[in-house]
Amino acid sequence: MSEILQAMLAAVWLLGAGLRIVRQARFYQIEEYMSGRYLRWAASRRERWLPARSISAWMLGIAVGALLAEAPGSSLPSIVALLAAIVAILPPRESEVKKSLAVTPRMKRLLLSACAICAIAFAAGWGAVSAVLPLDISLIPIFAVSALGCALFLLAPLWLVAGNLLAQPLESALRSRYLKQAAEALAKINPKIVGITGSYGKTTTKSFLRDILNARFRAYATPKSFNTLMGISLAINRDLADDLRAEYFICEMGAYVEGEIDRICQLTPPDIAIVTEVGPQHLERFGSLENVKRAKYELVKNLPADGVAVLNWDNPFIREMAAAGYPETVLTVSRDLTAEAARAHGVSWIASDVQETLDGLSFTVTRPASGEGAQIMTGILGQHNVTNLLLCIAAAHHEGVALRDIALRIRTLKPAESRLVQERTAAGITIINDAYSANPAGVVSALKVLGMHETGARLLITPGMIELGDRQDEENHKLGLLAAEYATDIILVGKAQTQPIARAIQSTSFDLTRLRVVETLSESIDWYQENLQAGDAVLFLNDLPDTY
Amino acid sequence: MSSRRRQTVAVIFGGRSVEHDVSIVTGHQIMNAFPADGYEILPIYISRDGRWFTGDALGALDNFKDGNILRHDSVKACLLSPDTRHHGLIIDPLAGRFSKSDVKRIDVAFPALHGSHGEDGSIQGLLELADVPYVGYATLGSALTNDKIMTKTVLRQAGIPVLDDQWLNRETWLERPEACIDEILRRFELPLFIKPATLGSSIGIGRADTEALLRASIDIAANFDRRILIEPALTDGIEINCSVIGFGGRYEASTLEQPLSWDEFLSYEDKYLRGGEGMKSAERLVPAPISAELTERIKAASIAAFKVMDGRGIARIDYLVRPERNEIYLNEINTMPGSLALYLWREDDYTASDLVRKLVQLAIDAHAEKRRNHYDYQTNLVALASQRGGKGSKAGK
Repeated sequence: MSEILQAMLAAVWLLGAGLRIVRQARFYQIEEYMSGRYLRWAASRRERWLPARSISAWMLGIAVGALLAEAPGSSLPSIVALLAAIVAILPPRESEVKKSLAVTPRMKRLLLSACAICAIAFAAGWGAVSAVLPLDISLIPIFAVSALGCALFLLAPLWLVAGNLLAQPLESALRSRYLKQAAEALAKINPKIVGITGSYGKTTTKSFLRDILNARFRAYATPKSFNTLMGISLAINRDLADDLRAEYFICEMGAYVEGEIDRICQLTPPDIAIVTEVGPQHLERFGSLENVKRAKYELVKNLPADGVAVLNWDNPFIREMAAAGYPETVLTVSRDLTAEAARAHGVSWIASDVQETLDGLSFTVTRPASGEGAQIMTGILGQHNVTNLLLCIAAAHHEGVALRDIALRIRTLKPAESRLVQERTAAGITIINDAYSANPAGVVSALKVLGMHETGARLLITPGMIELGDRQDEENHKLGLLAAEYATDIILVGKAQTQPIARAIQSTSFDLTRLRVVETLSESIDWYQENLQAGDAVLFLNDLPDTY
Repeated sequence: MSSRRRQTVAVIFGGRSVEHDVSIVTGHQIMNAFPADGYEILPIYISRDGRWFTGDALGALDNFKDGNILRHDSVKACLLSPDTRHHGLIIDPLAGRFSKSDVKRIDVAFPALHGSHGEDGSIQGLLELADVPYVGYATLGSALTNDKIMTKTVLRQAGIPVLDDQWLNRETWLERPEACIDEILRRFELPLFIKPATLGSSIGIGRADTEALLRASIDIAANFDRRILIEPALTDGIEINCSVIGFGGRYEASTLEQPLSWDEFLSYEDKYLRGGEGMKSAERLVPAPISAELTERIKAASIAAFKVMDGRGIARIDYLVRPERNEIYLNEINTMPGSLALYLWREDDYTASDLVRKLVQLAIDAHAEKRRNHYDYQTNLVALASQRGGKGSKAGK
């Protein structure tokens, strides 16, 4: 009888450990399988590594079991321990899930090895316990199973990390096979490769350039924000392989550390390199803006001598890249310079007379060297997009698309997913979705767009900006000041990280009864659906991963 | 058709066209309209970028919701073979070591495509090469009706009233925009409608009240088509539509409708919809509230237009009507109308199932009719030419 109960108790704890591994896997995935980042996340809040309910249920079970131990031979303590275990392992209710676990083949392998390690740890633990403890004394076995089970349950994050380590050799073998497959597929098609990098503006520039080049050629771009080595090879293997039409492959390249773009360029050696911005994005991973610049410059360094670099001259770090004088052809664009200054600095393309209404942007593009120019009009919103468009114009024109054709195509460009996408609901409320851009420049543009909605209330919903390192508080403070200027109502999502914004707003004359702080995005959505009416506008500025 | 084997009807939808999504809906409406017995429905989906697929998962509209339709296991690459012996699809044409290609016979193809590469004669051309019977207009009629400029040119010749217009090519517009604008404004007064010559579903169409808007609208239209049509925008016209079915001298015109825009709907609401008729009837008035005389004229014009365009299968023909002045203008001919204009045919006692069965029958009739042509004509020309050692190729001509 007692053996059966012991086995059941062990089974419950193991099941609990398994469930906890699966739950935790989602966050491990959000942290991109980086053990250090994940463990730091798990350790940063007590509830994450030591769930209150589990630990108190376990302790209560032991205590009550010990009290009931009077009647020898009774199975009551075991039953209590079993009940306590069940209460302890029931998964907690999850707060808002924005990104659920993607059960990729890699994730399946990871879960399998993590669970296997957990089971082995239990077997080893039990072996050790039976060697040391006198198991024939009535309550000892049940307490031992309980303690061991609880420990395994709590250590779930470690099993994940260990599982990842265990799967490492297999994963890297699979990865190199996958990369080889992508390289072969690419070699068969042999398209011209355009690499795009930058702290922000990559995805938007990529989608604009694809649409513009498609006015004359067949251009394929990596989907969504796929910009890591594995993401790019996935795009190649899944979509580009066997597509013999592609003449251009536009490849967004992201970097969190130096060397990453070098590695990507080995798979997709660029013929054309576009650098959009160097800014404080992911600054906490890079350390300094100088490091960001070096990481982005890897793209230009990977060009052949007869390649083309297309650079944003307005950014001082990128200006230095242009000054380095590699490769032979460097095209620069600016929306700050006058024609005269541009000629003096040898800047290739400039924008002037930039105007923005709710119908979109318009500006004049000129090539100071030749005087060539065109009037650009587009439904795209956000003044930062002038730079993105200039980069595309420079690249497309260099590839032989006539300026007039470029201008024509820009008329019907659509924004990339969740980047200043403006829609009107059936109730007449304008929704500006800017959930995917989270950088200082984009924030200014987005708030200006919100400010143009003069027909009603202007609500800003934002969790602020993150990963800006030591610049974060300062940039969020600026966000607060601008928000107070352009919005009539503000909802901050997440009390902790929005404090700098709230303080900035409080320092202005903004009506504080119209400032709300909530904990989840869904609360803010409920509020706007109840309180906004036809003619009002709401801006969703940035969205954070579930690990915040 | 009673005791025959089940007919395989291939419904082709999606397509490389800005009306891709509408076509998915039309395709599923058509597939659902077929009675379960007597027909085997074979869905064929052409992706936005022009790849061909078939498989059971394509038969359920729900599967298209999340954009991952191609990930379903049952979905396989296929191509419609132009080789007459295949008489249908080659499934999994690039099968590797672990799979096998297969040929699937099609009895009748039912293109449910809208706009470019579907309603313009190109898919019809492929089906002609394959010698597979297909629903709808043949290549000539499809190509003509798909282009608003050619449609009007032919209709004018046939004495069917159409609006005056001006058209231009994208090249001309890109090279000499000022001259184009001058010419347009010399001939017409604003407001004007600017339309890509070959698009449906009002995509790329603009209305210009100012010169600036005229330029912007031409730019936008020029992103969708090489040929651009410019017409005066009548301020006192109403829209009237009529559907026609038939082939080879036997044609039927349907009850007429007046489609309503949202504004018009609001102003008509009190007049017609008191008593809670429901939203469906709110989009249109059926039958259209115009005089019996105008109704008859429109029906007659519709049949005449259908015929002159070598119509076959079904069409919805759209008019601008000025009831006060008793004027009608044929606007466009849609050879694959949304919902097959079923809401009109219902008034004439056709069910959805009646309608698709009739269209399949018309396709078979048209294909049979074509067999009256000789395509094979034996000569001894090749033998003669080879006797002369190939030198006689010119002489043999």
